Amino acid sequence: MIGLRSTLAGRIALTAFATVILLFLALPIVVIVITSFSKSAFASFPPDSFSLGWYQALFADGSKWPGALSLSAVIASLSTVFSLILGVTAATALTRSELPLRSAVYALVLGPLIIPHIVTALGLFLLFEPASMLGSPLAIALGHTVMASPIAVMILIATLRGIDERLEDAAASMGAGRLTIARRITLPLAAPGMVAAAIFSFITSFDDFYVSQFLSSVGTLTLPVQIYNSLMFDIDPSVTAVSALLIAFAILALVLVGLVRWLGSGRQNALLSVETATALGAPGKETP
Amino acid sequence: MAATLAGVPARPRRLLASRRTRIGILYALPAVAYLLALFVYPIFSTLLLSVQDLDGSLTLHWYADALTGVNLSVLFTTLRIAAETALFSLVIGFLLANAISRLRPLPAALAMLIVVVPHFISALVRTYGWIIMLGDKGLVNQLLAGLGVPGAPYQLLYNEIGVVIGTTAMMLPYTVLLLYGVMRGVDRRLLAAAASMGAGRLVIFRRVYLPLVAPGLATAGLLSFILALGYYITPALMGGPNQTMIASLINQQVMKQNQWNGAAAEGVILLLLTFAGLLLVKLVSSLGEAKKRSAS
Repeated sequence: MIGLRSTLAGRIALTAFATVILLFLALPIVVIVITSFSKSAFASFPPDSFSLGWYQALFADGSKWPGALSLSAVIASLSTVFSLILGVTAATALTRSELPLRSAVYALVLGPLIIPHIVTALGLFLLFEPASMLGSPLAIALGHTVMASPIAVMILIATLRGIDERLEDAAASMGAGRLTIARRITLPLAAPGMVAAAIFSFITSFDDFYVSQFLSSVGTLTLPVQIYNSLMFDIDPSVTAVSALLIAFAILALVLVGLVRWLGSGRQNALLSVETATALGAPGKETP
Repeated sequence: MAATLAGVPARPRRLLASRRTRIGILYALPAVAYLLALFVYPIFSTLLLSVQDLDGSLTLHWYADALTGVNLSVLFTTLRIAAETALFSLVIGFLLANAISRLRPLPAALAMLIVVVPHFISALVRTYGWIIMLGDKGLVNQLLAGLGVPGAPYQLLYNEIGVVIGTTAMMLPYTVLLLYGVMRGVDRRLLAAAASMGAGRLVIFRRVYLPLVAPGLATAGLLSFILALGYYITPALMGGPNQTMIASLINQQVMKQNQWNGAAAEGVILLLLTFAGLLLVKLVSSLGEAKKRSAS
């Protein structure tokens, strides 16, 4: 709008710069996906020839990857359930009630997002080690929930704020009980936000490295820890294929969130009159 | 009968309020209890451990250890790399967010998509992508050699250049998101008003636009700095021994040296740095609020 735009040259320079930066944000991801189909053992780019060899190696006998993948999936599922329970209750308390010490509760619930993850992970290690729970998938899932629940709370707060409370009041005025209101009004309207919260909780747990690193034992290495170890210590070329799979999962999850939001965006508008609907905007703005 | 009627106007409201409060406490309880047990309590026990000697007596010598010799240089390295990361992601992020905020809605949304998607891909995976790209025969060196840049190929991995490229790339989506929000929040009427009074573009940029976005810039820079302090994966994988950051040190002390107290002290130092940064963020944003009020 101003500044560099004053000259044509400046404008071109800024656009070119922005394009290059966007390119470099996307390139590492593109490079991994292309390299994962390479035939050669060492990650060189661009590859000379293509094959599915590294994907086959992933699932070959004696491969450590399927175990790590399923462990991470189990832990992330557990953690998603925990985060969703904590998230729904906390977001309800923070948006639909008069809560004493509201800002303190808010700060506590969002605290794990700003405290360095390594500190949280160290604390959890000091908690679970004396209980000899290191390496327990449950302990890792409980730890991941500390990281994932704030994200679920944030998304669900935005979701509940986006639901017009007058709809709930209207239902109440017509004699609906609290359970009926929750089941027939709030839940259907909050569903897209809940799906988004679940997906982002899952990703957070699935990708977490710090807590897993501290809480895992030799027998229970989650996928990120396994990837880190093979990048740090033994160069295992199939790590490229694993990385490409993780990229695919992440993009799939984001597409799913987008899809659910798009499907859910019309619901409330249909229930409200036109002028209030336009003032409300889309429910469930998630900004994790 | 009359007595109960007199109580009617006040009573249901108070009853309702207390019911809403009770429901609030009930619903807040699971998350609060969970985080008190698995987040606050562990941090307090870390704090306690950092001031305890092996026999349980109070001591500060873990902090003395943390602030001398190799550990002190790790602390300085951490501060240096975090500052470099914050600076680069702020400058690049500013230019990128500025360019995007000038686009029409659809191209802007597409550009933001390219910014945001990497944010949801594991930092480990993105770091690996950068390792592939920055190697001797990687894409970047091939490009530089192809353009005839003298001195190519460069050593872009396992040194500070590599680490800062990596950490900046990890941070950039976050910084751009923050700055994009700040730039969209600028009241354009103020710029138009300055232009109508004959101010040139450079003057408008320097005297109106920059002061308006300055608090947001400072906040974004500080938050990037705070986050970068805790980085572990990227410096460990893309750096050399001189790029060991405090998070790696904590991990080494726990996993390799079984030195929990020392690790706890390092953790508390990291925590204190984070809180100091957050305090500055709060200060900057309250200054910014005051300025905004006096401007409009």
